[in-house]
Amino acid sequence: MVHLPMRDIKRVLLTGGGTAGHVNPALAIGSIFAGAGTRYLFVGVRGGVEEDVVPREGIPIRFVRASRYPGGHSPEMIKFLANLLAGSTRSVFILLRFRPDIIVGTGGYASAPIMIAAAFLKKFRLLRARIYMHEQNAVPGKLNRLMGRFVHQVFVTFDETLSHFPGKGMPAGYPLRKQISRKPRDEAARKLDFDIPLGRKIILVFGGSQGSRVINRALVDALGHLLPYRDSLFLIHGVGLYCKKEYDALRDTEERLRGSYSEAQLKDIESFYIYRPYFYDIDNLYAVSDLVVARAGAGSLNEISAMGLPALIIPKSNLPGNHQVLNARSMEAAGAVDILYEQITAKNRALSETVSGEKLAEKLLSLVHDRERLEKMGALSRSFFNKDALIRIEKYLRGEPEARTGGDRVSMKSDGDFALADNHALLMRLEREAEKRRHEYRPEKVIARPQDLEYLKYRAAALLLHPSWRHRNLGVKLLGLLGAKENIPEMLALYSERKPVPWYKRLLGGDFEQVGFIRRNILTSLVRLDEISPGIEEALAAGITDPYYEVRAQAAHAVAHFGSRLASAQNLVDGIKKLLKDTNIDVTVAAAEALGKIGGETDALPALLGMWDTRLWKVRSAVLRGILNLVKRGVIENPETIEDGVEKFILTSTDFRPHFEIKAVYRHLMELIETKKEKRIVR
Amino acid sequence: MIYFLGRFLHTQFEPFSFLRLVEYISARSIGAALTAILLTLFLTPIFIRYLHRRGFVDQWRNTGIASSYDKAGTPAMGGVIIVGCILFSCLLWCNLVNGYLVSVLSGMVFFGIIGMIDDVAKARRKSGDHGLSEAKKLLLQAAFAAAFMLYLASAFSPLPPNQAGTFYIPFLKAPLFDSIWLYLPIVFFFVIAVGNSVNITDGLDGLAIVPSVFVIGVLGVFGYALGRIDYARYLNYSYLPGAGELTVFSAAFIGAGIGFLWFNAYPAQVIMGDTGSLAIGGSMAVLSVVLKQEALFLILGGVFVAEAASSQIQDKIGIRWLGRRIFLRAPLHHAMQHKGLAETKVVIRVWIASGILALIALATLKLR
Repeated sequence: MVHLPMRDIKRVLLTGGGTAGHVNPALAIGSIFAGAGTRYLFVGVRGGVEEDVVPREGIPIRFVRASRYPGGHSPEMIKFLANLLAGSTRSVFILLRFRPDIIVGTGGYASAPIMIAAAFLKKFRLLRARIYMHEQNAVPGKLNRLMGRFVHQVFVTFDETLSHFPGKGMPAGYPLRKQISRKPRDEAARKLDFDIPLGRKIILVFGGSQGSRVINRALVDALGHLLPYRDSLFLIHGVGLYCKKEYDALRDTEERLRGSYSEAQLKDIESFYIYRPYFYDIDNLYAVSDLVVARAGAGSLNEISAMGLPALIIPKSNLPGNHQVLNARSMEAAGAVDILYEQITAKNRALSETVSGEKLAEKLLSLVHDRERLEKMGALSRSFFNKDALIRIEKYLRGEPEARTGGDRVSMKSDGDFALADNHALLMRLEREAEKRRHEYRPEKVIARPQDLEYLKYRAAALLLHPSWRHRNLGVKLLGLLGAKENIPEMLALYSERKPVPWYKRLLGGDFEQVGFIRRNILTSLVRLDEISPGIEEALAAGITDPYYEVRAQAAHAVAHFGSRLASAQNLVDGIKKLLKDTNIDVTVAAAEALGKIGGETDALPALLGMWDTRLWKVRSAVLRGILNLVKRGVIENPETIEDGVEKFILTSTDFRPHFEIKAVYRHLMELIETKKEKRIVR
Repeated sequence: MIYFLGRFLHTQFEPFSFLRLVEYISARSIGAALTAILLTLFLTPIFIRYLHRRGFVDQWRNTGIASSYDKAGTPAMGGVIIVGCILFSCLLWCNLVNGYLVSVLSGMVFFGIIGMIDDVAKARRKSGDHGLSEAKKLLLQAAFAAAFMLYLASAFSPLPPNQAGTFYIPFLKAPLFDSIWLYLPIVFFFVIAVGNSVNITDGLDGLAIVPSVFVIGVLGVFGYALGRIDYARYLNYSYLPGAGELTVFSAAFIGAGIGFLWFNAYPAQVIMGDTGSLAIGGSMAVLSVVLKQEALFLILGGVFVAEAASSQIQDKIGIRWLGRRIFLRAPLHHAMQHKGLAETKVVIRVWIASGILALIALATLKLR
């Protein structure tokens, strides 16, 4: 491969954008070519952070049209393609006029138009630039994978990513801007536009360049809980640049502050809290901070690690490949950071991701006041980082072959545990364990690390918000198997949501958006979780009259399971008695058994005895089990009086269990051989 | 071969004039049925032992029904015997250049081979869920259906040209429509749907074979009637010259089917597997099409239609789309078991139902 001598690279085109996570590596790689006579051009999209950040660096910027890849077949796709076409056309002209020697794309949809235009021009030999790409995430998006075909080399942050760019990838790490480097605290403090009181613990909170609603709101809520400690803390909050109709980061934060606290409280808060839309000198802030609270984007984590800071990470849920969570967990496993997962909470029966302010405050206080732990985390954080990404890229561009080896890179690998298996695989495994261990089943026995269990619960709860009912259903099942008692209110909120499905689905037997399987499985999970609350009893009462038979049957099962522990057991008897007349066999069977558990001599017994001539033997058998339970519970004063009634139940039955004698002998023989084998091994 | 030999002898040599018997469909039918039944009774035990030795046995598959547990280990691929004996019997007793017969036999063999690939794959991988993928199966079946469709539209079609695009429904004398463009797509979907319906039905010992015998038997009667100009005219059907040959096939099928039932009756020593169920489905589909009785099949093969439809509705509409069960269990024989009916009782009730349907279908021969 022929490399351009570095001194000949005079025109550098950088592209990539949307978030700082894409813009910063572009700027960092661009800085390699800095020198007299180098001309730069940045190409991005309007409305991204590049619009703001790039001109500050003194680099001219041009904009092209582009939009996020929508995936699947949707009307968005047309818009995406139109934008891509318009952006690429414009990019052709930009490229022809600027005539770059080198193009560096850092992914994201913003870099697609330039990359496509460049590939096109190269094909017709109208452009001599070399094209490079940097991939920040462990799992590349569709556009990046496509663009990887046109470029000369792809620098990747994680080794695992190499397989997505066969023959083109080079492990490099995450290039940080040169200004992100450790510096003395006082020097940094002097450069800030505000004063930091002496002797306080400084906490830097930000949710990436765009800001994060979850973090912003949680922090505002946490302030009240932190008030008593205002003399020992100082919080610096980067609210973020996000400014759209559905969420305006700055305005929402200010409104929440004013809405949550009184004038006097705000005065107090001001003494230990400061917020800004965005910090252009984040390195100074890092330098003065004792602890960082951030999202788990590759950029933020690498910066935190480069600065050797301890951090509390709040990963964003429901991202493609769950990459934020995976990033965070690999740093957590190394001991460098602590994780606070988002919670899925039900408010006014609508589910959303949140972090409770109280929990955040609690976590912050426990971290800040543990000096030893902070120091240890800081050191581990420092060693986690791969320091020479930029040097390696530079060496590579200079054509020095050793760039491929060496370095003390620590890759953010998944910990290989099944805890990270996808939700489906997890469900299969848990179901198998539950079936094997029956009553002895405890999720803690299957998933040993408490952090893993917590993570999985969080991940399962996040599924409740998924637009597809299959995923919500999966979430419900997992929550039950994972023993997520804390998520019962969310499941109940899902259960009682009665939004009907479109008419064509109703015509075929559909009912609500929370489909029959979800409602049935919520009840199954409630039984598994084995907790009682007024909300649950309400759900059971609703389940008995559900339009879908499996829900009615499951509700009856649940009643049988909880039995006399239900405060409203007496009120449920009438509803269950009605279920005995149900047309569905599953429901009648479950109802008969439930009556045995909660019924009494006067209410349940006559109804059960009246079932003696039911056609299906399975129902009769269930009724007999019900009566058996009544007798066992001792609610029937003179059991001998029902003998005649019970006798009538033995009508001819339509089923039998075949007995394969040869198979019985075979099993017996095999068991014997097995025990002999074990004995020999023991000896 | 007997057909050709007898024909040659009785036309050339006076002493063999008694061999004119082979010109009678009835005589050949009886011969074919006897050959097939004796052959299956004789060969199946040998074949079962062979399957056991080669490990081509049914694999356990979790259907949630108690009885299916004890079926694991029963040799599958009994269909090879059914198909083989029918083929041999037809080779002996049929006019092998008859277009009707050739299309039915090729439908049976092609579908049978698809099933065999599936059965072998399942046995190799020791899993009941990992045979040929559903998409590949459908693709192969669609290939056959398309080829068959083209064959019917071509000049080689055994049907008289004026019948190429007619679509008849039971109880009506005149065709519902006569348009090859409307008719051929119906044939395409009919072949695929019916081809698979037996496969779905084949879930309990003896469940699929007896209704198949009823269906193909009744179609054999139709073939006999429609293949005779006097009967066809009397019954007001359009005469299909040569369709009588299908009666001989149908007789061979009945023979092989009953011979197979000998071993397949509860508790089964051998099951037909996908080889058998797809081969039967394929031959039933082609047979109905060449006799122009596609609509009649909805009644005649009502058992298969109900089983296949319930299974598809349950899975595709209910479980995958609406998020609920529509039937208690599907296919319907599982629903009956779920209600507490013993396997044998379910099977015999289905036989009775298919017998009733076959009688109704037979009645349409005159009632129109």
